[in-house]
Amino acid sequence: MLRRFLKARSEPANFAALRRIDLFHALNRRELRTLDSLLHHRSYCQDEIIFDEGEDGQAVYFILSGHVLISRQSRPVDGAIAELGPDQSFGEMAMLDDAPRMAQARARDDCRLAVLFRDDFLGLLQSHALIASKLSLALAHMLARRLRDTISRDVV
Amino acid sequence: MAKHQDGSGPLTWIAVIFTTCILLFLFQKILWLVVPFMLAFVLYYLISPFTHKLIMAGLSPELAAIGLSGIFLLLAGAWLLVLYPLAIAHAGLWQDDLQRYLLGGTAALEAAVTTLKFKFAFLRNMDMGGDYRQNLLDLSSHFSEKYLGQMITTIAAWLPSLLLAPIITFFLLRDGVRLRKFIISAVPNAYFEKTLYLMRAIDRTARMYFLGLLSLVAIDGSMLCGGLWALGIPAALTLGLLAALLGVIPYLGPLLGCAIALMVTATDLPGNPAMLYWVIGLFALVRVMDDFVFLPYVMGRSMHIHPLLTLLMFFIGEAIAGVSGLILVIPVLGIMMVIGETVEAILSDDRLRVRHTHARRLERVIATGDLTLD
Repeated sequence: MLRRFLKARSEPANFAALRRIDLFHALNRRELRTLDSLLHHRSYCQDEIIFDEGEDGQAVYFILSGHVLISRQSRPVDGAIAELGPDQSFGEMAMLDDAPRMAQARARDDCRLAVLFRDDFLGLLQSHALIASKLSLALAHMLARRLRDTISRDVV
Repeated sequence: MAKHQDGSGPLTWIAVIFTTCILLFLFQKILWLVVPFMLAFVLYYLISPFTHKLIMAGLSPELAAIGLSGIFLLLAGAWLLVLYPLAIAHAGLWQDDLQRYLLGGTAALEAAVTTLKFKFAFLRNMDMGGDYRQNLLDLSSHFSEKYLGQMITTIAAWLPSLLLAPIITFFLLRDGVRLRKFIISAVPNAYFEKTLYLMRAIDRTARMYFLGLLSLVAIDGSMLCGGLWALGIPAALTLGLLAALLGVIPYLGPLLGCAIALMVTATDLPGNPAMLYWVIGLFALVRVMDDFVFLPYVMGRSMHIHPLLTLLMFFIGEAIAGVSGLILVIPVLGIMMVIGETVEAILSDDRLRVRHTHARRLERVIATGDLTLD
């Protein structure tokens, strides 16, 4: 109990928020600390554009608080694809290739995001292969889930 | 993100060259700070792969940085402790050697001039600077009283500044990522991703340049050491390494390296003028290989600079900041190019500027939302 108390005390405040993110579930405390040293924390106010459709993607975003609206052709109302909330991520395709962003991301309300730059992720593959492989596996699971959801929606 | 495929416009180029000139001018004024920083960057890029290996082995980044910087500092300290008494003990001997090699070089030069005058009639009445022998003799005989003290004072004055290099390297290794995050945190959201890309591009350019430079020294050193050894020149290893290190100074360095090798050859192998031509041939071969094979292969990928502009910038760099300008001009120009291209990409992107204005307006609305004027 004392150990758990000390562990909780020594953990930085933002670790609790990072732990809830799907992609980081498999990481232990030390790995999370390493990853946190690479994450950039950004704040966006309501209605601020995070990235545009067609822009070259260089980073993946993790929502720590607030909501983000993903939409096509810069039409937040009729072009909306999804609304994402805390602990979810977006822009993951940028981790995999250099292709342009497929949709626009806009802050639905004031939100706080953690950002992982693609080159930092590629650096992790060399310096911390275990962390990078855990992230890659979680990313593959997430993309497979999304593909399955899309297929089942199309069938219906 | 713009991948700089279209290149920059003329205005950007003018701005890049102008900024490079200003920076060289400023750097010359604070050379005591620029040199340790440059050495620190070379060390940082050299050591960082080992840091990664240590981190992979389970060490924290702090411990890896402390360990590697500490080892380097210990090695540098040990080298100085060994070199200092050696220099004091052998100062007299080195001066005699210098005088001997200068005389040998002068004799070879005189022999070459005599041969030329004998073969070409139009040279016979030409004044070829006859007092150069006397000047060289003066230089060698009064070297210790005129220059040695000054050289030792200069080295002593530079020593604290040079010792800064491993300390800067340590902080770069330990806090490099934190420093980058700190700088990025000041960038507005709209330009965030492009700035991340810019910083990575600058890092990549500097890494490839400095590591490329070290690779070139190693390649040149191996070729010169091997070539001089094959020709039977004494102290081939020392001469080859010295010439390769001097090669870091563009244009002047290789000439100086070749001149030293010729003096040693003329003195230690007298009466063998053919050997002098072989040495000149070897240095010319290394130069050609450098310019046409190694330089484009090793550095070409990091510095996409037109050869004519490179040449022009060398002259400008030399005019502004002397030898330090010659050494610094290409890395500074390379980094300025990356910054110039990215700033141009950001400024010419209307969408990004509008997004930034939009974000500022939203922030103002939030900040003034509860304030009303009656």
